[in-house]
Amino acid sequence: MEKNNKNLVYIINLFIFAKYLNQTTMENQFTEKQSLELIGQMISVARNNLQKGMGPIFLLWGYLVAGISLATVVLITLLPAETAHNAYYLWFLMIFSFPLHVWLVRKRETERRVTTYIEKVMNWVWIGFIIAILVVVLGLIVDMIIVVNVTPDHPLDRAHEFIRWFPWLLLTPILLCLYGFALFVSGKAYEFKPLVTGGIVCFAASFFLLLTLHKTGVMGFQQLVLCISAVAGFVIPGHLLNRKDRRDVPRT
Amino acid sequence: MFLELDPLLHSQLRLAVMSLLIGAAEADFVFLREKTGATAGNLSVQIEKLREAGYIEVVKSFKGKMPRTTCRITPAGISAFEKYVAALKGYISPG
Repeated sequence: MEKNNKNLVYIINLFIFAKYLNQTTMENQFTEKQSLELIGQMISVARNNLQKGMGPIFLLWGYLVAGISLATVVLITLLPAETAHNAYYLWFLMIFSFPLHVWLVRKRETERRVTTYIEKVMNWVWIGFIIAILVVVLGLIVDMIIVVNVTPDHPLDRAHEFIRWFPWLLLTPILLCLYGFALFVSGKAYEFKPLVTGGIVCFAASFFLLLTLHKTGVMGFQQLVLCISAVAGFVIPGHLLNRKDRRDVPRT
Repeated sequence: MFLELDPLLHSQLRLAVMSLLIGAAEADFVFLREKTGATAGNLSVQIEKLREAGYIEVVKSFKGKMPRTTCRITPAGISAFEKYVAALKGYISPG
């Protein structure tokens, strides 16, 4: 029994020594050519690890924007013309999605093992996009508060009404243009076509809305275009991203 | 003209780690271990050597309850890597 144990220890020691020997000789035999091959191989490994777990974040915003814009269209159609603009208050529901967004991002951070330079830059592009949207929305809100509180001292009430609401008609085209920009750049950087397509749809929608600003009944129409753009820019790419993640070799 | 190859980089595992980090803004220990196929013990020894040389930066943190070691290449690391590749060229190109 004891002899067996001794043999076992001997074998284990031999194995460890062989492994050590193998390791040291491997280092010595490491030629310049192998060295270059290794560098190329490892660099491509890091590059292929792009863009995992983005799908749920796209779907959250996509379904939310599409849902709210559709509900706004319905409300605008149902409400009498004088109170139709109240439908826009539905957009305050967006605030509730921020905690969910933070949770999704945190979850992704925990699972993520590597951050590439592209991802880092793209994160800043999206943060810049959010800041740009906040600037536009806050600017319009402040402007509205100022304009609403100014009582017209001349009889041109109609002009006053126009100035009061017109800037809000510009909101959707501006937002769509910003959406389009962020989507287009992301799609090109990550080489993921559905995002590029979504971006182009948003650009086209923005241009189209600017052309139709003068039309009557444009409020509901704008929301409908926004809904379609959210589906093209976020919902469809979101589902495709999820499918891509499942199909790709899991990030083990 | 044969330039001397940086002995710190002319080792399979350390070079693999440096190549992975040069392509990424940051990477964690588990990622490096999986992609290089090294054992945890060996990898942490090599990472420590690179860190001592100032080639990489190592940050230990917690993600939830799990400890996490994140590595990042430093400017010194990047220039060492570039010098190493330039020296390699001298060996590979004919004449």
